[in-house]
Amino acid sequence: MLFNQLLLNGIIAGSIYALIAIGFTVIYRTVKFFNLAHGIVYTAGAYFAYTLTISLHLNIILSFFLSIFFAALLGIAIDRCVYYPLRRKSASNMIFLLASFGVFIFLQNLIQLIYGAQILTIRTGPVKEGHHFLGAVITDIQILILVVSSLLLVILWMFIKKSKLGKAMRAVSDDPIAASVVGINPERIIMTSFAIGSALAGAAGILISYETNIEPTMGFSAILKGIIASIIGGIGSIPGAVLGAFFLGLAENLGIWKISAGWKDAIAFAILIIFLLIRPWGFLGVRTEKKSL
Amino acid sequence: MEYILHILVIAGIYIILTLSLNLIVGYTGLPALGHAAFSCIGAYASSLLALNAGLSPWIGLLTGACAAALAGIAIGYPAVRLKGDYLALATFGLGVIVYSIAKNWVSLTRGPMGLPGIPGFSVFGFQFSGIWSYLLLVLVFVAITIFIISRIVNSPFGRVLLSIREDEIASESLGKDTTKYKLLVFIIGAFFAGIAGSLYSHYITFIDPSSFTLMESITILLMVIFGGMGRISGSIVGAIILVVFPELLRFLGMPSSIAAPMRQMIYGLLLVFLMIKRPQGIMGLYRFK
Repeated sequence: MLFNQLLLNGIIAGSIYALIAIGFTVIYRTVKFFNLAHGIVYTAGAYFAYTLTISLHLNIILSFFLSIFFAALLGIAIDRCVYYPLRRKSASNMIFLLASFGVFIFLQNLIQLIYGAQILTIRTGPVKEGHHFLGAVITDIQILILVVSSLLLVILWMFIKKSKLGKAMRAVSDDPIAASVVGINPERIIMTSFAIGSALAGAAGILISYETNIEPTMGFSAILKGIIASIIGGIGSIPGAVLGAFFLGLAENLGIWKISAGWKDAIAFAILIIFLLIRPWGFLGVRTEKKSL
Repeated sequence: MEYILHILVIAGIYIILTLSLNLIVGYTGLPALGHAAFSCIGAYASSLLALNAGLSPWIGLLTGACAAALAGIAIGYPAVRLKGDYLALATFGLGVIVYSIAKNWVSLTRGPMGLPGIPGFSVFGFQFSGIWSYLLLVLVFVAITIFIISRIVNSPFGRVLLSIREDEIASESLGKDTTKYKLLVFIIGAFFAGIAGSLYSHYITFIDPSSFTLMESITILLMVIFGGMGRISGSIVGAIILVVFPELLRFLGMPSSIAAPMRQMIYGLLLVFLMIKRPQGIMGLYRFK
């Protein structure tokens, strides 16, 4: 029975990781660097939801969509203020990575300055008992997380595969120069990918804020899980990111069956390092020359 | 006065950390993001020996440095096989793993409760109690570190490191076993970081895992980049400025609940600014490729 509960927890964690990992991957595909600032967009999503729902007493559905919108705007703003100047200088990946980490540190502490370091909660009213399901307990909010995240995944998949903009994004991802030759503006595509990726991260942050407490430091572990999921799934592959996210969520939660919960992050990184050493292209990635790693 | 001397002791410890990281990052071009892990191991090994086995802090210092060097092998072994972003991420991860061990292996490290009452250094029965004597002790170690690291980087060994940084394939084609060199650099860097961790623990007399977080690693990296990659004088300047400058916030009368996030915000902003305007730092000779 404990096994079923951990399995369920793993799937719920996996669906949150999947949203973050896919947002990260959408951005990675067009800009090709590890955008750590993605994690702070996740945190910001949760705090936007808190501000709109608790401080401004907005309707919860309205504040959900508004928060996603603000998260997307934040992603675009970070791109324009920080990454755009770096792109014009054609900076190296490592410089992008460190700059994105700088953004992360700055915004995390800004949030801490505004809201304080203590945990906040959006939940109003009493905690309801969950539904019993195959010996495991699942709450209404957890069902909501599963439904909304699968819905978002399907919408994103349709968008990338079917829409014209989605096809343009794939074109820029494969070959930015060839894409600009056929009249696709790469800057516009990059902006679109930041908007979509950040909206997904924001959605993940908002969903988790309904489920647990929020705090300014929550984004750090989240983005690391997102990156790890993307790498073990095969960097740049959207189905890979989903697969990696569920694998990671399950491995972490089943791992704590035997060892204590404090080791979750360490388990995630141990998995990453094993993958980097023996299968750096991940589950579904394209096998590349070792030198290009 | 006491306070200024305290800041100088802390600055001295950071100089050792920054120099040892500069050897890895600035001279060899390996973007390692988990340097606090090594000082964590040095600090815990040294303190645990002093507290549980009653050994002299001097033995602890040496054991701590050697333990950190061993961790350098363990961390460097997977890390040097990776490149660029992936190396950064792997060292990041190893930093998280070491932090988790310090936090969760409660029976050994007492976890988040930390280790109080770590004894200070003594020489021939003379206890280093005053802050002046500690400053002297730290300065001696800073001098030793500067001497050894400048000898390393100006030696034939150091020239191989620079060649790995500039063009790894070219140095491989000259018959240099670059993996071995990179691993050695990790070991040396870890050794000095272990010394710094041990000095810190015996000076503050209390350690807990929160002194060795990833933010700490990033702060050390920021000192390296800010001062200048691949420059010894740069590391000294970078460490001193970034230790002293945030302390000025206290003089503006900010309560620590505001000063602490303010300081980190400045660090974050500085990192972004440096990456956009001057990725090699104020007097650096290298930028990340």
